Amino acid sequence: MKLTKIINRSLVLLALVAITACSNDDNPIDPVAMATCTDGVMNGDETGVDCGGSCIPCDMGQEPDFSGSYAQADHMGRPGINTVLGFDMDGQTSVKDAQNVTTPAEMAATFQAGYEARLEQYHDVYAGLLGLQPEDVDYENNILGLSATNLTTYLAADVLDVAADFPTTYFNPGTDYDGDGRILVPDGDEIGLTGRALQDDVIDVSLILLFGGNEGTRFSGQDVDFDGIQDLPRLTSDGVGLTATIGSEFPFVGNPQ
Amino acid sequence: MKNTKLLWGLAALVAAGSILVAADHIDAPSSMGTTADIADFFAFEPSEGSDNTVFVVDVQSDVLPDLAYGTFDEDILTEINIDVDGDLVEDYVIQATPRNGRMYFFFGTAVQTGLISEVLTDNPLGDVAISATTAVVEITDNGVKLFAGPRQDPFFFDFFQFNAVKGGMAPEGFLPAGEAENTFAGANTMSIAVEIPNNLLGTPTAQNALGLSVYKTWVTTNRKQ
Repeated sequence: MKLTKIINRSLVLLALVAITACSNDDNPIDPVAMATCTDGVMNGDETGVDCGGSCIPCDMGQEPDFSGSYAQADHMGRPGINTVLGFDMDGQTSVKDAQNVTTPAEMAATFQAGYEARLEQYHDVYAGLLGLQPEDVDYENNILGLSATNLTTYLAADVLDVAADFPTTYFNPGTDYDGDGRILVPDGDEIGLTGRALQDDVIDVSLILLFGGNEGTRFSGQDVDFDGIQDLPRLTSDGVGLTATIGSEFPFVGNPQ
Repeated sequence: MKNTKLLWGLAALVAAGSILVAADHIDAPSSMGTTADIADFFAFEPSEGSDNTVFVVDVQSDVLPDLAYGTFDEDILTEINIDVDGDLVEDYVIQATPRNGRMYFFFGTAVQTGLISEVLTDNPLGDVAISATTAVVEITDNGVKLFAGPRQDPFFFDFFQFNAVKGGMAPEGFLPAGEAENTFAGANTMSIAVEIPNNLLGTPTAQNALGLSVYKTWVTTNRKQ
């Protein structure tokens, strides 16, 4: 009995809705589409957020408002600087937050010492794992001949170099244009640090510069005594390559998946 | 390792506020996971010998659950800063900020340096509809290409193993190719891309560590006050 009543009432309601809808037949705006015109997202047949298509034209309002001031929230130059070398201690002001709101001209003076200490701490981790004392495993001048102080001074000013007139390579350890056998030792004839392409393996480059020593291979998983067991940690490559789709036309990076 | 398991493991690390790392994804407590979180930054020649430079800025990411992703925030002004003379102070700035489904770009001499910015409303560069899946590109009269929308996240890194290495839990270091896993495979990001003729930026007099002439560039996000 009750169910029949509910169904009957529903039918009456449906009829009322139908009549109301009919009375609007002369209105060209589709009520279903209209429902999306105020939801704050671009959907339905809209060409902008809540405008265009069945909604009001996008150009009907005023010019967009660009007034006001904006305060810096995040910063990035080279990949991984703040994340790898930044260091937060419990209960202290966040060094990582501070890096994001420091201008590049002030970064080296502000962060270099902390980054150098961090670089040494990474080496201490492996001293411990190799059963050695922290002082037994220290940073060794890298493939560019940079000392720990010089490397961290260079990296602390967190900007990305990009050349106007040279091929882009973040750092290509295999590039030796004059064939003199020297790989990116700065004698003025090699090319590197000229930007960052989508394909560049910036993590491996960073690992080589931080842990590779002057040959670039200092900790690369060597089996020193040839007994078939790895003796040194693998720290100069993370073992992964590009998986995203890269095209040849602007904007180069593949459609979302 | 199953991706889901990995993601939940990483999500737990995020929740615990533990060390996290990527190109610039989730790099610091105040910006991580917000609409202002810069994920990555690229600058390159579009093809060898080209007289243009391409800048790609990625903000936000869906590499982990619960991160801001999918919509550009109208309260965020993204700036690509270009230092021509090597004093590490920007000489030019390219600005991008969204309004009503379009990304508006401005370009000019950096009149304000430092941490507070205003939109260079007297120097509009152009605007482009924010793309859905397929890329929509606008080319301005002065030859600048503009794009904004979701893209694949092209960063690659075995982020999970890095945390093990960093925490002293991986005596063997990173995993060999074949065993290592790119944490960012399948992730998407919100991308802003600009291809600009170098003659609009001038000839760089700054030098890199190898003595080559370069622009010194960096990107910032800035939140409306």
